[in-house]
Amino acid sequence: MEQKKNNQVTKSLLWLLLLIIAVIIPWILGSNQYSVLLVTTVLLYGVMATLWNIIGGLAGQLDLGSFAYLGLGAFTSGTLLIRYNFTPWMGMILGGLVAAGFALLIGIPLFRFRIREVWYALTTCALVEILKVVFTMWEKVGGPVERYLPHYGSLYHMRFSSYIPYYYLMLGLLLIALGVNYRINKTRLGYYLKALGEDEIAAEVLGIDTRSCKLKALVCYSFLIGVTGGIYANMYGYIHPSFFDGQESIKVAILGIVGGRGITYGPLLAALLLVGIQEFLRASIGGDVSGLYLVIYSVILIVVVLFRPKGIATIFQDVYQRVFSRRGVEKKNVQ
Amino acid sequence: MSNEKILTASGITKSFGSLIAVNHVDLEIYEEEIVGLIGPNGAGKTTLFNLINGLETPDQGEVTFKGIDITAMSPHKICQLGMARSFQVTRSFTQMSVEEAIKVGAYNRKNEKEVQEKVEWVINFFGLEEIRDCKCSDLGLASLRKVEVARATATEPNLLLLDEVAAGLTSAELLKLMSELRRLNKEAKIALCVVEHVMQMVMSLCERIFVLDAGELIAQGVPEEISNNQRVIEAYLGRGSYGKTSSAD
Repeated sequence: MEQKKNNQVTKSLLWLLLLIIAVIIPWILGSNQYSVLLVTTVLLYGVMATLWNIIGGLAGQLDLGSFAYLGLGAFTSGTLLIRYNFTPWMGMILGGLVAAGFALLIGIPLFRFRIREVWYALTTCALVEILKVVFTMWEKVGGPVERYLPHYGSLYHMRFSSYIPYYYLMLGLLLIALGVNYRINKTRLGYYLKALGEDEIAAEVLGIDTRSCKLKALVCYSFLIGVTGGIYANMYGYIHPSFFDGQESIKVAILGIVGGRGITYGPLLAALLLVGIQEFLRASIGGDVSGLYLVIYSVILIVVVLFRPKGIATIFQDVYQRVFSRRGVEKKNVQ
Repeated sequence: MSNEKILTASGITKSFGSLIAVNHVDLEIYEEEIVGLIGPNGAGKTTLFNLINGLETPDQGEVTFKGIDITAMSPHKICQLGMARSFQVTRSFTQMSVEEAIKVGAYNRKNEKEVQEKVEWVINFFGLEEIRDCKCSDLGLASLRKVEVARATATEPNLLLLDEVAAGLTSAELLKLMSELRRLNKEAKIALCVVEHVMQMVMSLCERIFVLDAGELIAQGVPEEISNNQRVIEAYLGRGSYGKTSSAD
């Protein structure tokens, strides 16, 4: 019992340490805005992959539509700001609601007709592309030209002259995303999602309303991604249909899978490592040999998938068990 | 029989294309009894289970459970009413530990505060203390089947449908399983309906037996009656020199 308590203390300390590092990073990078933008991008992918974990990791639905919800959030919040001078602080919440509403519209028929696995993946993938076309054609809101957000540099408009505030906003979102994940994991919904993610029929006969559980997960995920979209628009200062990016949506799913499906901090870990490496490589060698960073990135990806198919988070789990929990070591020996 | 009827199936029929898998079957199960459902391979036993617990909807006929019509109800609602089942081919949650898998079942009737207590009760009842932290993917067949029964029991059913839980078990494991099922029936007051090929188990465990052949109910009664029933012997044991299923066994 005492050992368990000790473990929890070490765990909390570890998280605290990481949080402190995360908080002081912009102060270290301070003068270099480009670097701050890079780490904010890494955090953005951390947030998205962590949220993806709810639908893709826990509930086992291979969702490839994350940027559909991000784009919807960005366009809602951005359009409200451009047209009605509506503060993005509220706009991003509305963006989340629009994204969640849209997810419901898609999710209800999808789950009603038992669209699963690859078919679910293809549907969500198409969703992003369809929205991209719709917003390119829809001249009133989107159109082929970027629409710039007013640049006042004020708190009301969530427009800052430095990237540092956006970094902290993203960090806040990341904490929320991790918190939601952690919370779901520990409660009935989490157990139900994990169960139906593995075997829907077995879940059904154990009294689990799989359809409503999947919808809950989808709404949770799309709402928070929509909120992220609001901040995303403000960070880049414009809205454009290219926000509906199918390739990047797949990247989010890859991060979720490589990190370790269903493990709360797994996708974040993958985002930190892979996106971190990718952005670093792009910044350092992208200018000399264009495209080389993608090659290196892919090789790393292949190695991870080959040697740790259940996710890089499992490396940390093993190390953690070996170092802190004697029970884990004994069990390993028995096997 | 002093107990009330818990399940009634009347005239249920299900066909897949031109194959009639279950043909006008009537059966009833009373509270707290153990009934067996036997029949040669392909007789429609598993389909009958699927029809009863909502995984399939019958073409004709109706199923009532505790006086409620459940014919077209979805499986999770039927489970919430108090019917659980296990599967012939185990459907385990491979990434979960035994404890977690049982917890999934226990959440059916318990809230966050009470759920752990129920999990402990089930683990204790089935003697799963030693493997509670093991991943389901690491378990052998006997343990897997037991976890599946435990998981279903955790939903607190009044009727438990067991689809060939004894298949592939050694005789020692079988005896242990049988005593657990008896205890489950007596102590937890759960009615059991077992589909089984292992005759030893059916004959000593069940109070009544239904015999299904080619989708039709050909006999029902206490074990002695069944083992002496000429039609059952012909159809199921394949001793007759005539009849279409003579080579079934």
